Amino acid sequence: MLSACSPEQANQETLAFDQAYPPQAGGTLMSAMPSDPSSMIGMVAGESASLAIGSYLFNSLLKYDQNLDLAGELAASWQVADDNKTITFKLKPNLQWADGKPLTSADVLFTWQLITDEKTHSPYASDYQLVTQAEAPDPQTFIVHYSQPFAPALESWASLQVLPKHKLAGQDIHTTSFAQKPLGSHYYQLQEWRHGEYIKLSRNPKSVMGPANIETLVERVIPDPAAQFLELMADHIDSMNMDPITYARIIPSRPALAARLNQYKELGNSYTYLGFNLKRKPFDDVRVRKAINYAIDKQEIIDGVYLGLGIAIASPYKPGTRWSNPDLHPYAFDPAKARQLLAEAGYTDSDGDGYLDKNGQKLSFEILTNLGNKQREKTSVIIQRRLKEVGIDTRLRTLEWASLLTNFIKPGNFDAVVMGWGLGLDPDQYNIWHSSQQNPGQFNFIGYHNPQVDHLLEQGRLEFDPEKRMQIYHAFAKALYDDSPLVYLSAGYGLTAIHKRVQGIMNPIPPAGVGYDSQKWYIPAPLRRAQIQAE
Amino acid sequence: MLRYLIRRVLWMIPMLIGISLISFFIMHLAPGDITSTESAFDPKSSEESRQKLRELYHLDKPIIVQYGLWLERMVHLDFGHSFASHQKPVFWSETDKDGNTTKGMIEEALPVTLLMNLVGLLLTLSLAIPLGVMAAKKHGHWQDRSITLFNFIGFSIPGFWLSLLLMYWLGVIHPWFPISGLHSLNYDQLNAWQQAQDLFMHLCLPVIIPALTGLAGVTMFVKNGMLDVLSQDFVITARAKGLSDRVVTYRHALRNALLPLITLVGLSLPGLIGGSVIAETIFAIPGMGKLFYEAVMMRDFPVVMGILTIGSALTLVGNLLADLAYAWADPRLRKGVMPQR
Repeated sequence: MLSACSPEQANQETLAFDQAYPPQAGGTLMSAMPSDPSSMIGMVAGESASLAIGSYLFNSLLKYDQNLDLAGELAASWQVADDNKTITFKLKPNLQWADGKPLTSADVLFTWQLITDEKTHSPYASDYQLVTQAEAPDPQTFIVHYSQPFAPALESWASLQVLPKHKLAGQDIHTTSFAQKPLGSHYYQLQEWRHGEYIKLSRNPKSVMGPANIETLVERVIPDPAAQFLELMADHIDSMNMDPITYARIIPSRPALAARLNQYKELGNSYTYLGFNLKRKPFDDVRVRKAINYAIDKQEIIDGVYLGLGIAIASPYKPGTRWSNPDLHPYAFDPAKARQLLAEAGYTDSDGDGYLDKNGQKLSFEILTNLGNKQREKTSVIIQRRLKEVGIDTRLRTLEWASLLTNFIKPGNFDAVVMGWGLGLDPDQYNIWHSSQQNPGQFNFIGYHNPQVDHLLEQGRLEFDPEKRMQIYHAFAKALYDDSPLVYLSAGYGLTAIHKRVQGIMNPIPPAGVGYDSQKWYIPAPLRRAQIQAE
Repeated sequence: MLRYLIRRVLWMIPMLIGISLISFFIMHLAPGDITSTESAFDPKSSEESRQKLRELYHLDKPIIVQYGLWLERMVHLDFGHSFASHQKPVFWSETDKDGNTTKGMIEEALPVTLLMNLVGLLLTLSLAIPLGVMAAKKHGHWQDRSITLFNFIGFSIPGFWLSLLLMYWLGVIHPWFPISGLHSLNYDQLNAWQQAQDLFMHLCLPVIIPALTGLAGVTMFVKNGMLDVLSQDFVITARAKGLSDRVVTYRHALRNALLPLITLVGLSLPGLIGGSVIAETIFAIPGMGKLFYEAVMMRDFPVVMGILTIGSALTLVGNLLADLAYAWADPRLRKGVMPQR
């Protein structure tokens, strides 16, 4: 359906865009997002679009540096007391909001009080509710006390977007017009929000982090990926997130387009898995779980579904990061070993129908996944075929998201699921794996119970020393690996195309991702769009 | 006539309550609520906070109580606030004590959809009526066959495919029209005339494509109506009296053939505000179709109920208007014989 632009056009553009220019301020960066944020107060809205826009507007006490180590953002320094129960933050001097009012520890205290207030309905309040007492003894100092050490606390202070007390005091956070017209302290401030169409952010000259290069950021709301791609082709947007087909097939086949774009791939912090209901037979038998793990060819799924743009993993952590245990290797594809393990578990094909059985019961189960995620649907089909080869009968069922959660996941009414986890940067996975987290609505819905893992997860929460924490989570990943409560299928790459007019992008991409340091990106004057220059 | 009108309008009240009751219960039959869609699977969020949200929205109460609460608000024409969109008012704008106004969700989406669909409907009708008449008059000839072929193509082309094709040809290859969105980024800096022009250019493709794909059905409708009428006695009598072909076709036959079309247009009134999910999603237009679809997927009950209520009210008004238009178009009805529907 689509064809390439003329070769002349391509040459002209290649020449101009491949030239490097020194950093300079100005210009407009246009990108696309699939949905409109519901509010600019991400901590209350709870959806990713709100949090993403909020991250341009608001600062946190801490942030992750390019190597994913914690660094100060509003905080100049932080001190964990010897008993690990108190954290003292010292704020940088002369911080201010975009309206010129000073930003002090009173604002941080106010934000903490707001999020943990009974009347505030924030999905992310739980980590902050563990703070027994918070105080701001002077404008530069913010102190939090915990009843017991809580190592993920530091990450939580890197996630809390600090809000201005002088604008929000006395307001109802759920109805305040601040959510539509926010005032922040970060690199950008809201210039215009046309609901459902676009959000225009302009550079905040009073930014506490120093000046950003690009003058204006525009996020256009374009839900349909095909329309996003057409806008990219027409040069109306500068960047978009892509699926593997667009990245690996469509863009390379259009030389004129490829000449204008830089393509980036980075390993995300999420993975897809086949999870078992461990409270049901046959998944209570570790040999069956391991057999299924050996029977599935993960590389085949990565190649077939993700066009090779993913990697097989052996632990629930991003490979290459401190928390990922380098001694673990993904279960190999080994159908013979799978058959052997199933035989050890007592499964044989006694009636000769091609499927294994035990005590007259066929080895058969149902795999659920959510509607609308084509990659998971295709993955399920490949799994079904591989399991059939070792004599396991599976049925596939695709369900709408809310229906899957309410009718199946929450009441534990399933055999196996193909789903994914997107994780934070802190290694704590207590909510997902601790045996206490199995009630309806909690996240250990597969019913995993391992006292050793419980102990490690509890220990990991108490330990602030990164080296010691690393040892704990490596041991945790090893215990999971041996138990195989789920089959890690793949960790996919995040795929981004950015127009070559945008320069200053860190290359190679740091562990923190392509968007890290985006305030240093710049668009040289000769490469800016004419229509935007006229504005 | 007046008594009939009053009776019909009064009947609409229990009808609306009935429709809303059924809608409310059917909506709650779908599994899940707002808390199972929004941040439901984020390991950083907790079940306690979701439970608090359920209490806030009264989702923990029995469904009949929830309906009662909704109906109580509706009596005061209060459509409530969205669950998903930061408590934005569902219908009308609201001003807080500091004088900041938050626009209603339907209020924002409705004018866009109404404009798009009204222009689209006018376009469809202005093309479909002449085409249908021509196909009927030239029944069996090449003109009729070409129109039928065109209709077949119109019926079979998927709207989203045609949209993408035209977006590519008229937006990327020959950049005559904007590809998506409703306003240019510098819309606020334009003068009134330029703003109208900007809106017009943005709406061209989203209006033309549904109009083209909807054209086929209406053309066939008009053609069949004309064929029926052209073979009736009064048309033959008119011709026998020596009236010109023009007068017979357009004054006598067409007026009768259009009667069923009035019903069709009347019934399409709720469709005018319903919008199209596919067209609005592809063209990134924040209209009613997209609003409704997203509200259903998010289980944003106040928004779903708001749109359903307005849709039902308009269906009833559409029926009433169709009946009145019938009476206007058909002298037999105007003289006191009202249709019993």
